[in-house]
Amino acid sequence: MYTLTDVNKIYQKGRRTVPALRDVNLAIADGEWLAVQGRTGHGKTTLLQMLGGLDQPTSGTVEFDGQNFSRLREGQLTDVRANAIGFIFQTFNLVPTLSAADNVEAALIPLGSRLGGRRSRVASALDSVGLGDRARHVPAELSGGQQQRVAIARALVKEPKVLLADEPTGNLDEGTRDEIIDLLETLWRERGLTVVLVTHDSTVARRAQRVAVMSKGRLSIQPGSPRPATTS
Amino acid sequence: MFFLTYVRRELWRRRRQAIVIALGLALGIGLVITATAAAAGVRNAQGNVLKGLYGVGTDITVTKKPPAASPAAGTRVQLGNGGARVCSNGACHTGAQKIDNLRSPAYGPIGESSVASVRGLHGVTGASGGLALTDNQITIPGTLGPSTRMPSPKSITVDGTDISHPELGPLSNGTISSGRGFSSSDANSDVALVDANYAAANSLRAGSKITLAKTSFTVTGIVSQPQSSNPPNVYIPLARAQALGKSNQDKSLQGQVNTIYVATASAADVGTVQHELSGLLPSATVTTSSSLASQVTGSLANTAKLANDLGRWLSVLVLVAAFAVASLLTVAAVSRRVREFGTLKALGWRSRRIVLQVMGEAIVMGVVGGAVGVGLGYLGAALIRKISPTLDATLTQPTGQHFEGMGPNGPSSSSPTVSHTVPVHMLPQISLPVLALAVGLAVAGGLIAGMFGSWQVSRLHPAAALARVE
Repeated sequence: MYTLTDVNKIYQKGRRTVPALRDVNLAIADGEWLAVQGRTGHGKTTLLQMLGGLDQPTSGTVEFDGQNFSRLREGQLTDVRANAIGFIFQTFNLVPTLSAADNVEAALIPLGSRLGGRRSRVASALDSVGLGDRARHVPAELSGGQQQRVAIARALVKEPKVLLADEPTGNLDEGTRDEIIDLLETLWRERGLTVVLVTHDSTVARRAQRVAVMSKGRLSIQPGSPRPATTS
Repeated sequence: MFFLTYVRRELWRRRRQAIVIALGLALGIGLVITATAAAAGVRNAQGNVLKGLYGVGTDITVTKKPPAASPAAGTRVQLGNGGARVCSNGACHTGAQKIDNLRSPAYGPIGESSVASVRGLHGVTGASGGLALTDNQITIPGTLGPSTRMPSPKSITVDGTDISHPELGPLSNGTISSGRGFSSSDANSDVALVDANYAAANSLRAGSKITLAKTSFTVTGIVSQPQSSNPPNVYIPLARAQALGKSNQDKSLQGQVNTIYVATASAADVGTVQHELSGLLPSATVTTSSSLASQVTGSLANTAKLANDLGRWLSVLVLVAAFAVASLLTVAAVSRRVREFGTLKALGWRSRRIVLQVMGEAIVMGVVGGAVGVGLGYLGAALIRKISPTLDATLTQPTGQHFEGMGPNGPSSSSPTVSHTVPVHMLPQISLPVLALAVGLAVAGGLIAGMFGSWQVSRLHPAAALARVE
C-alpha cells in the first residue's frame, strides 16, 4: 500500500533548519496495522502527514497504491484524501457547530453522493460506533470518548483504504482509551483496513501488528514485529 | 442542504459578530436609501417648482437676455433735501407723483413671428409666446425731510397670456376657482385673471378692478395654482400686455414676446429641439427644466445640496466603514477556524468548497443586513416625511427701478429686485432601482468581506492548519 523511500522533511525556522524526518524508508502492506511510537517532537505527526498527503517531503518519495504523492497536483491529492484516506485526530477536530450526523456527513460532501444515500451511510456509520442515538447532538453535548467515536465514524463513513490516527487516545482516560482501541481493532478486522496509528502510549502501540519507533526523525521497526494483532 | 445547515449553524454560533456585521451593513444601506429617497424627494419638489414656473406640458422655454439699459432709460428717482425728482425717458418731474409702469426687466424682446417658426421645428408639438412683465407702482411724496427713507415699490408680476394657446404657459397649470377664464373675445379687452393667493392678500374677487400701467382692468376670474408653483400675480391678454408694456429700454413691446413656451413630442426630443432652437434664435437663451434648476435658490436648493452632498458622502463613509468592519470580522472569524478548515481539507474538501462556505456565510450576513437596511431606509424616509419642515424656493428678478438719494452717510443708490418664494413639500421617494441598488450593495459588502476571508482560506496549507493550536 505505502512505500516510503529516503524520505526527508526539513522545516525552516528562521535561519535554522529543523529536520523532522531523516531518511525514512518504510513499506506498509494492505490490511496492516502499524503503530508508530516516539516522544513528542520526534516526527511522528510529520510522518502521518506525509502518509495522508497533507504535506510533501523535502526529498524522497511517498508512494500510495503506486502513485507518487509528489507528482500529484493538489486537486488529485485532495481526491485521494477524499476517497481513500480517513483521519482521526487527538483533539477529535469535530466542527463544533455541526451535529454528530452532520460531522460524519461532512466526509461524504467531497464525494458528491446524493442526500438520501449520504443519510443512510451516516446512520450506519454512527451505529457502527455505538452512537446511533446521539446523531443530533453537537460535540459539546458529547463526552470525549463519544466525540472520538464520532470522529472514527467520520473517518470510516466513506469506506477508506487507510485509517491514519494521530494520538487517537491522547485526550482520553484509560477506560475510554481501551474502548476506543477495541473499537478500532474491531473495525480494522471487520473491514480489512490498513491502520497507521501514532501514539506515545505503549499499551496502545502493543495492540498493533507492527511497531515502529521515531526518534529524532529516524524510523526504526521494533524487533519482534511483525506479529498478529491481539485483543487485550 | 448541508451547505445551508453549515452556514446557519456557523452564523448562529457567532451570532453576536454576525449581528454586528449585518447591522453595520444595514446602517450603511439604510443611509444610502434614506439619502437617495431624500434626494429624489428634493428633485421631485424642484421639478414641481420648475413645472409651476412655466406650466404643465412646457418642456423648453426660450428667452433673451435684456439689452443693456441706457442711462436715460427706466425710471430714476432722485431723493434729496428739496424733494423727489423723477426722471423717465429723459423727462424729469418734481413734486408728488405716482409712478406705474409695466416693464420687462428680466428678459429682452423676441419678435412674435419667431413663435410660428418655433412651431415649425421638428419634434415640437406646440409653442406659444407670452410676456412676463412686472408692474411697478411707487408713490412719491411731494416733500421729503432729511430722514425720509426711499419709498418701496409695489411690484405685481404680470403674465401676458396668449389666449389662443391656453395649453402652454403659466396659466395652463391653474384652475379657475371663481369667475371665468379668458375667452377669445377677451383678446383686446382690459380683463385680468388674478392668482388666488394674490387675490386673498389684496381682497380681490371676480368683478374687482385692478390697475396696471395706469390702466384699469376688470378681474374676471380667480386662478388657483398648485402650492409648489410660482405663478404670476395677474394674467392679462397678450395683446394688452404688448400694448401697455415696455422693454427695459423703454421701447414698446408691440409685436413682441419675451418668453416662448415650447412642448416637445417626447422627453428624448428635448436635446434635439434645444439644439434647433439655438440655431433658429442664436441670441436667445434656451432653458430646459434641468438648466432652470440651477437658478433656484432658497432652502430647497440648500436641501438639495445637503441631500446630494452630505447624504451621499455620509452614506459612502458608513458603507466603507461597514465593509471594512465586515471584512475584518470575517477575517478574524476565518483565523479562528483555521484548524476546522484544515480538518475539512484533510477530509478531502477542496479549497473552493471551503471558500464557497465562507462566502455563503458572508453573503447571508450581507443579505440580512440589506433587508434590515431596506427597513431602516423606509424608516428614515418616513421620519424625513414626518419631521421635515416646508421648504421654499426663491427666484429673484430685477424690477428695473433705480433709486438715488443723499442721506446722512453720503450718496446712496439701489436697484430693487422682486423675489418669488414658493413653499415646497418634500416627500422622500424610494424607487425600485434604489432598492435594487441597496440589495446589490449589501451583497457586495458580503462578497467583499467573504473575499478577504476566502483569500485566507485559499492560502491555508492543510498540515500547517491542523498544527494550529486553538
